[in-house]
Amino acid sequence: MLKDFLEGKPLRHPLHPMLVHFPIGLFILSFLFDLASLVFPFELYLVRDSFYAMLLGVIMALIAAVPGFVDYTDIRSDHPGKRTATAHLTLNLIVVAIYGINLGVRSSTLDELKTPIVPLVLSLIGIALLSAAGYLGGRLVYDEGIAVGRHKRRTPTPEDTLRLSTANDAKEGDVVFVSVPGAERLGNEETLRAEINGQVITIAKIDNRVFAFQEFCTHRFGPLSEGTFHGFDVQCPWHKSRFDVRTGKVTNGPAKVDLKTFRVETRDGKICVGVPCTT
Amino acid sequence: MKWLLDVLKGKWLKHPLHPILVHVPMAMWPSAVIFDLLSQWRIGGNAMVRLSFYAIIFGLVASLPAVPAGVVDWSGIKKEKPAWKIGLYHMILNLVVAVLFAINLGLRAQTFREATKVAGTPLLLSVVGTGLLVGSAYLGGLMVYEYGIRVARMSKKKKREIAEAGGANVPPE
Repeated sequence: MLKDFLEGKPLRHPLHPMLVHFPIGLFILSFLFDLASLVFPFELYLVRDSFYAMLLGVIMALIAAVPGFVDYTDIRSDHPGKRTATAHLTLNLIVVAIYGINLGVRSSTLDELKTPIVPLVLSLIGIALLSAAGYLGGRLVYDEGIAVGRHKRRTPTPEDTLRLSTANDAKEGDVVFVSVPGAERLGNEETLRAEINGQVITIAKIDNRVFAFQEFCTHRFGPLSEGTFHGFDVQCPWHKSRFDVRTGKVTNGPAKVDLKTFRVETRDGKICVGVPCTT
Repeated sequence: MKWLLDVLKGKWLKHPLHPILVHVPMAMWPSAVIFDLLSQWRIGGNAMVRLSFYAIIFGLVASLPAVPAGVVDWSGIKKEKPAWKIGLYHMILNLVVAVLFAINLGLRAQTFREATKVAGTPLLLSVVGTGLLVGSAYLGGLMVYEYGIRVARMSKKKKREIAEAGGANVPPE
């Protein structure tokens, strides 16, 4: 499938972060040629080589944009990293546009010995914005874990979080059962992410049974709704901690603390999750 | 010394340093292959030969600071984890690649100012070096995307707050 390919699933590695090395390195190289042309104006071809490096950088940036955009669409709409990703994408589009203009401005001055001031300034602005955009991209990986462990998942990840209220449901002791719309349509190893009374819960179907447990891994709080299933174990996409979804018990580290689990019952054909009453 | 370790780990940036620094060699050396081939196909002439030469130099210079940053990240991996061994292979391969490109550069140094195409031996060294680099970089990527090395380590506190707000069981601090 094209989407799986562009997400790098066959490679077990996302494609976008591989490809972005090229524009980043080449735009910096291009700028170094510009600076060198000011310091060593007697050296041949510095201006021309700056142009060639930039041209290859723009080509590679355009190629990198395709899997980058696919990665972007795969981030849950209410993910805390979504805004960072939007900023990363917007900044990079601006950077490519600036470099496109830069190439155009330079194309008539390739045989000069010094890079003229306008393209030089454009390169400086481009590198500043690119550094910021690249930094945000790194934060997406190392803070938010975007694309980490994603290739292990065979089923789609939740597109957003269902926000459900317990206001209309009757209390049963200290638990209230809330019906989860869409839960009955889940396929095996598919998940929903729900927030009920502030509790963030993963709802997963395994072996035709539905289970509910806390969304956050107890190691570094990775998203279990994007995890993989191994028998009745859920595996965190980030560091492979495993938990038994029936009991919440850790079956494999690095996590040491068990998950909170929630009762799931079918009532009037609807799948309901029991969450503790807030009052 | 602790301050130096923190700098190399990228704590001041809230982002590991090694993956930032490797962008330059990772871009320069495969690009050198492209420039070498273009020169072979009579595109660009001496400008292309020079471009390839400078790209290799820039890659070598930029790879130096990436070494201590990478070693510090690697030393943070527990030895019994699969990522430790991958990191070791990644490190050895990268050293081989850097040596190959240093030799490659030496072979070009005499001729790059006049030659209009890159000779066979340096071209071959570029191709072999890049092949090994791609393999090595892939291992580096696997450490992040398969094994989660350095993922959500510096943001752990923020993530813990989000998990607590979401009613999750969390480990003691």
